[in-house]
Parts: sequence; C-alpha cells; structure tokens
Amino acid sequence: MTAAKATREVGLPVSLDEAGLNCDVRISSLTGPACDRLRDLGFCEQMQLRKISNGRNLLCTVCGAKMAISRELAKQVIVSPMR
Amino acid sequence: MSEENPTIALVGNPNAGKSTIFNALTGKNQRVGNFSGVTVEVKIGETYTPHGQKLNVLDLPGCYSLRAESKDEQVALDALTGKLESTAKPDLVVCVVDASNLERHLQLALQVIEMKLPCVLALNMVDLAENAGLRLDPAKLSEELGIPVVAMQADAGKGVIELKQALRHPFPPASEASWLLNTDDGESHRRGFISGLCELAARRPDSSQRTFSDKLDSILLHPLFGWIAFIAVMFGVFWAIFSFASIPMDAIEGLKGSLAEWVTTLMPEGDLRSLIVDGVIEGVGGVLIFLPQIILLFLFIGLLESSGYMARAAYLMDGVMAKAGLSGKAFLPLFSSYACAIPGVMATRTIDSAKERLVTIFVAPWMSCSARLPVYFLLVPLLLHEKEGTWKQALFLFGIYFFGTATAFIVARILRGRLGPDAKPSHFMLELPSYRKPQWGYIFRHVFDRAWAFVRKAGTIILGLSILLWALKTYPKSDSDDQGEALAYSAMGRIGDFIEPAVKPLGFDGRTGTAILTSFAAREVFVSSMAILFSVEETDDDEETRSRLRDRIAAATWPDGRALYTPLSLVSLLVFFIYALQCLPTTAVVARETNSWKWGIGQFVFMSGFAYLASLLVFQIGTLLRF
Repeated sequence: MTAAKATREVGLPVSLDEAGLNCDVRISSLTGPACDRLRDLGFCEQMQLRKISNGRNLLCTVCGAKMAISRELAKQVIVSPMR
Repeated sequence: MSEENPTIALVGNPNAGKSTIFNALTGKNQRVGNFSGVTVEVKIGETYTPHGQKLNVLDLPGCYSLRAESKDEQVALDALTGKLESTAKPDLVVCVVDASNLERHLQLALQVIEMKLPCVLALNMVDLAENAGLRLDPAKLSEELGIPVVAMQADAGKGVIELKQALRHPFPPASEASWLLNTDDGESHRRGFISGLCELAARRPDSSQRTFSDKLDSILLHPLFGWIAFIAVMFGVFWAIFSFASIPMDAIEGLKGSLAEWVTTLMPEGDLRSLIVDGVIEGVGGVLIFLPQIILLFLFIGLLESSGYMARAAYLMDGVMAKAGLSGKAFLPLFSSYACAIPGVMATRTIDSAKERLVTIFVAPWMSCSARLPVYFLLVPLLLHEKEGTWKQALFLFGIYFFGTATAFIVARILRGRLGPDAKPSHFMLELPSYRKPQWGYIFRHVFDRAWAFVRKAGTIILGLSILLWALKTYPKSDSDDQGEALAYSAMGRIGDFIEPAVKPLGFDGRTGTAILTSFAAREVFVSSMAILFSVEETDDDEETRSRLRDRIAAATWPDGRALYTPLSLVSLLVFFIYALQCLPTTAVVARETNSWKWGIGQFVFMSGFAYLASLLVFQIGTLLRF
C-alpha cells in the first residue's frame, strides 16, 4: 500500500511529502529542525491543508495561502486525513 | 525629522501590504510589490493624525516571526527593540495582517503584542477575505486581542482615515497578552489562542473554493505550459523594450537635433558654441535618448511584481537556480538586477542562507543592467547591418542577456562549491500570493522615480564627463584644419595613444579604449564618448544622426587602412560590456551589504579582469580562426 493510499483509506499519518494530491489533510505533528520556521509559515498542528502538486518543491494551500516548500521541509510535516 | 514626534512602526508578514499602508499614510512612493521582500530596509516617513499630531512612520521589512532567521527579519526586530541606529524605538506598532490569511499572520502580531508595545491591528485586504468567503468580526478580534482593530483595503485607500484616527494620542495601552497568563509554554498557547480566535472572528467556509488564482496557476505553474508562459513573458518583455521604445526615442533624438541647430544659429562660431553643441547637447542627449527603454524595463518589472507573477517565476526557476547552487529566492534579486544591480543586491536580504546571499550578490552585476542597454542598442544594429528595432535584434539582445546570466550561474556554482555548506541548512519556502490587479499609481510613480534618477545622472555625472571629454578632445589645439590631426594632437588623442597597446589585443583602437575608460564612471557614458570621439555631427533626422555614428564607426580604419570595427571586434566589445563591472555605486553597495570592502573591491577587480580576458580570448581566437 502506498503512503498516499494509506492516508486516504486507512487514515495513517504520513509525511506531507508522501500525502496524496488534492485531498484535505490535517497536520498532526511537526518533526525535525525546521519546525519553528514551518509554524511561522502557518504549518501548525491541527491546521488543515491541501497538497496541490508534487515535484521538486510541493505546492499546498494552508490557511487560505498558497505555499511552496521543499521536499525536505515537507518530510517534517506529518499529516493525517480529515475525518 | 524632529526627535519629539512619536514614532510608529509598521510590522507584518511579507506581502501583508505594509508598504501600501506606508505610502497611504506618508504620501511617499515606497516600492510596492505582490512578492515578499520588496521592502528590505527600514523606510522612514511622516504623517499627521486627524488632530494635526506629527508622527514618524517606519516601514519595516516583512518577517514571519521575531526569531530573526534572515537579515531582513533581524532588521525588523532591531527596529522594534530600539537597537537600530538612526531610528527611535517605536511608541506604537501597527501590526499589518492579511485578513484572508489571519491564522498565519496573527502569529507575528501576537509576538509583537507580547513585547508589551502598544499596538493597533490593521486588518488589511478585507476584500480578498470576503471574496474567499471568510466571515470577519473586527470587533470580536479587538475584544479578544485587547487592541484596536481597523479593517482596511489599503490598495483602494479604504480604512486609511480610520487608521489615522486610531493613531491619535493618547496611544492605546499595551495589551496584557491573555494567552500567556498562567502558562510556561507560550508557543503552543499562542497557537491555540489563534485557532480559537479565528473560529470566533474569521471563520472560513467549510468547503474550499477554486479561486481565479487557482485557475490561473493551473496554467502558469503547469510543468509544460508554465514554462512556455514564462519564456513568452520574458521574451515579450525584451521584444517590447526593443520595439515600443523606438517612437519616443525618435522624438527625443529630434528634439536633440533641433536644440543643437537652434544653438548653432543663435551663437557665433567658437569654443563656447562647440562646448554646448558638441559637448553638452551631444553628450547628455546621446544618453537621454535611451530613457524610454529604461522606463519600459522598470515598468515591466513593476507589473510582474505587482500582479503576483514574480513569485510564480521564482517557484518555476527554483530548479534552474539549484543548478547554480542557488534557490528560487535568488530569482527576484537577480531579475531586479536586469534593471539595476543596486536594488538587486539589496533584495538579497530575503535569502536565508548567508553563503547563498554572498554568491547572489557576487554574480548580480552580470545580469545585464539597464545602463548597458545604450551600449547594446548602439552596437547590435551595427553588428547585424540593420536598421533599429527588428525582431532579429530582439533575439540577439535576448542572447546577450542569456550569455551574461549563464556565466553568472556557472561562476555562482563554482563559488557556492568553494564556500561550502551553511552551518544551518536552509530550505526553499515561498508564499505565492493571489493574483492582483496591478497598482498602476504606485507602478507609475516608481517608474517616474527611476526615470528621474536616470535624468539626474545625465544632468550631473554624464554632463560633467561630457564637458571633460569635450575639453580633452579640444585642447591643446593644433594649427591644422584637419579634424583627425586636431584630435591626435589633443589630450584625448594622446591618452588614446597611451592606452592603445593595452586594448589593441582586444581589437580596439585608442579612441575606443578611451571611451571604455570613461565608461567606468557610468556605462552609458560610452555612447556619448564614442559620439564625441568619432566627431559625429548633429542632423535634424533622428535616425540619421544615430546611423551617422554607426556609419562613422563602421568606416573607421586603422592607419594601414584595415577596417577598425570588424564583426569580431564588435563581438569582443559586447563581451567586454557584458562582463565588466563599470559602476562605482554598485561596488559601494556591495561593500555595505557584505560588510566588507574586500568583497566590493574583489568583485570589481575580478569582473574587470574577467571582462578583459574574455574579450581578449574572443578576439584572439576569432582572429586565429579567421572570423
């Protein structure tokens, strides 16, 4: 089972890097050295976000803003599907 | 500015609209963009409350927090804590927040309130928030935060009077920061407080809507169509600069010719008339003629920033910049350097990585700035044997820009490798703001400022050098009536003879060498120097005058009768101008920004040496290959 499928079907937390495209997820935790910076940008626990595109940098909307973040940063954002 | 006047500071996340509010309050023309990092230093202005109280206003660089992880954030923090030289500690802080992004923007506002500074919350862009379906309740926000809240749409001038009323004396007391009471974990309590506050006073609709920006982004950020659009935009900018500007350029040229003719008929023949016609009008007019192109370049950059496209370009370019060891954040500084390296160097303050910032500063002058345009416009038609303004020339110009940029990327890659990794790794993160209608008023005022700066330069440095060049070319006077002999006898002729051995291996004669020497003060002086050195006479016909200069250059020969300017020597000259750092103000700004004259002077010496060597190689190898 892929990580994206795991998020959608089972509801397991995965990193934002692995999350599926165009589905709403909620940030369950942040882990890694860039946590504070991510929170400053709006990637806070319990915040709802949507991943729009994959690639070298990920595009996602958080709190109504469109943000581009690197894959390394996306790996530090742990998300779970919206219930 | 009086010391007794209270000071207010505008603080907020990048792209929250601080500069727009600053301009609305002070009537100044601080540059406004729809891209983070437009304000990279503290701007100071003055405003009056409705009761006539004068206030000093500080516009601080945008920051996401008060942790000060990049240089512009450090500047903002220092200004708020009163540690910044030349500005007083603010008596009141206006926290500017984007109402459509409150969850994120309130993080910083709450941190400012926690500093126990009296605050007013400017709830900006309420129109965008309402369009996105947010239900805003400014009164509830004010009650919960314990500070006055003013709803605003600053770009339309709405809420400015209400904000001025909120700034009247006595200032509101500092808020108690209720979310910090009885807790040791300020961070998580702050986040929890914001979450609860947004539920109460800025509730989002349950279903997310696909906005106009989303629809546009599906094309402009598309892996294929996005790049096609990007290349089309960039090529369109260069093509427009080349073709649209020809009408006003012709008009300026016509005016120059008429003025010279009028002075000629008005004054008796002599040194004074020669000084005014051949020195001042020809020298200054020869540079002013390129004003329309410079205006167009700044207009397009302003449009791209103001509409929000610049951030998309940075996102697209991140992968390309990575090949040079840089990130997408270096795109704005480098792109701005196409207009002028000085704002480009200053815009590097938004780059988190110190080493990436140094490398970006180092290569920024290789993005061909607007001062080089006059030189390119003189030489490119000459090289292609064409009249001005063809698509082939636009393509050639695009190639010149590409050539400088590619070299900058290669050198950046090498330099980045030598400097090694940062002590603290930094990652790419960028906000892509919603597309907005360009703020034409601010764009036009900014373009006017830049155009005025260019005209002022023409009236000072270029005027001075034109007079000096005329004097060097005129004195000492020979008894001969032959213009060539008179020039050879003059101080200029002697200087040319002196430096000719140094520039001959590059394919240039002493006159070209002298013109290059004068262009180290300002690149665009090269054109007027060439006009003076090649003794071009004025005509009424605009294109005729310019083509006369080209004809004169094309017809020039070495003493043995060989053509002075072959295609190869013209390419060699273009290569020299692509690479040489002929701008002392840039060197001064680099020294200031890097806090080291070693970097400023090192960059100047390196780029000048590089330009000489590149030009030498082009000419010598080209000669060997019989081009």
